[in-house]
Amino acid sequence: MRIVDPIGTSAAAAKTLALRPRSLEGVTIALLDNSKPNAGVLLERVGALLAARGGARAVRTWGKPGSSIAATPAVIEEIAAAARVALTASAD
Amino acid sequence: MVLGTDEFIPLARAQVAARGLPALPVVTVPHPIGGIPAAAAAAKAEPIVESVLRALTSDPAAASEAMSSGAGDVEAPDDLDRFQAWVMERGWGDGLPVIPPTRERVAAMLAGARRRPEEIVALLVPRLGRATAEAIAANAVMAGALPEHLPVVLAAVEAVADASFNLQAVQTTTHPCSPLVIVNGPIAKRLGVNAGGNVFGQGARANAAIGRALRLTLQNVGGARPGKEDRATQGQPGKYAYCIAENEAASPWEPLSVERGFPSGESTVTVCGSEGPHNINDHGSTTPEGIVTTVAGTAAIAGSNNIYLGGEPLIVLGPEHAATAASSGWSKGDFKRAVWERARVPLGRLTPENIERFATIYPEGFKGKPSETPAPIARDWRDVMVIVAGGAGKHSAFVPTFGATRSVTRRITE
Repeated sequence: MRIVDPIGTSAAAAKTLALRPRSLEGVTIALLDNSKPNAGVLLERVGALLAARGGARAVRTWGKPGSSIAATPAVIEEIAAAARVALTASAD
Repeated sequence: MVLGTDEFIPLARAQVAARGLPALPVVTVPHPIGGIPAAAAAAKAEPIVESVLRALTSDPAAASEAMSSGAGDVEAPDDLDRFQAWVMERGWGDGLPVIPPTRERVAAMLAGARRRPEEIVALLVPRLGRATAEAIAANAVMAGALPEHLPVVLAAVEAVADASFNLQAVQTTTHPCSPLVIVNGPIAKRLGVNAGGNVFGQGARANAAIGRALRLTLQNVGGARPGKEDRATQGQPGKYAYCIAENEAASPWEPLSVERGFPSGESTVTVCGSEGPHNINDHGSTTPEGIVTTVAGTAAIAGSNNIYLGGEPLIVLGPEHAATAASSGWSKGDFKRAVWERARVPLGRLTPENIERFATIYPEGFKGKPSETPAPIARDWRDVMVIVAGGAGKHSAFVPTFGATRSVTRRITE
């Protein structure tokens, strides 16, 4: 039998990923802490290791109002202006 | 790029896909990173640094398969038993049998509400699914709803999609919350939405079907499948169906809809991102203060999201408790304020690690406070919700919420 599709369509609009840098030499890395326990600890350790291995210039951390709340537009703009790459945290 | 733990990768992938970036790299460490010493969490960084470095400096691989885009009709097995298995294979069911949403049944369902099939009622996260009247109707058919139930379901979908409800979080959190649908107004009696005995339980088709129709819509159109995008650690039975009507006839006070500014005589739905109901047994109290004591004692719990995230914990008073609470001329506001003042969790009942975590989320309540400091169950007494529902007997229910969610009330249009 034919049935109506119960999931319908998604409105997710395809976007283009930003170009990756060739290396992290001289790059500023942004970390976005989602305030879950130890998220900052893990992000910062990854950031420090990346900086050491990849020759990044700086690592900076930003936060969000809460784990289930998006980063403010102002924070996103700041990150986009200050950093070439960003590591964000998802869930637990 | 996105960093996460391996347990949560389906959710991370769903979120990047919903943002139109299915190829955005996601790198994972073994779960968990929370609940372990900081040094152990930090030690998980070294093994993945090379993967992260590659993710940041090279072109991503092709996107992994996303959920089916869905469009138009689907060919399904004719045999009803085979159909049930087929629905479960696709992740479209909830474990109970569903009615096949054939074109004829969906058309009949849509006749219950004056909407064009292609009208978009809401975009549902995390998948950003288009909840058209038709898609919702298909899920309502599956749920076993009748056409007369559809306007309530549509209003509930609109309500959960309101930004203040924080559907993204409610759909994907590890917390067990599920949208509780509270129906007010004349439509409740007309449709047979139970407000009396066993109100949270089985037996009323309207409660079961409306609640289930909303849940299936959120799972299927919204894209929150258990174990994948829906990360509930344990969940709760209200994720099958969670719909009640307020017992306005038995309430000594104004209904929730009127309290929220809707004219009496208008029908509304209110949605709350709720835990399951916790029983409040009080067979002894004969005064409002007595009911407050027992309610407050039940509500002052260490494991609730509300004490650190705020939000609106709900008290569902059984009619007998409501009558006692309103004796001596107490208003609903008097009762809310009294419960809020009495229901306090001394910080000493929480562990230092949790207080430290709460202090980063809500410093005014938790940072640098002595252990005797009594934490309230909501930021303000007006955030305590109170409705009356149930039948005879001396029981009420305390229903905490996810915390980072606000209840939303919407008019039901027929």
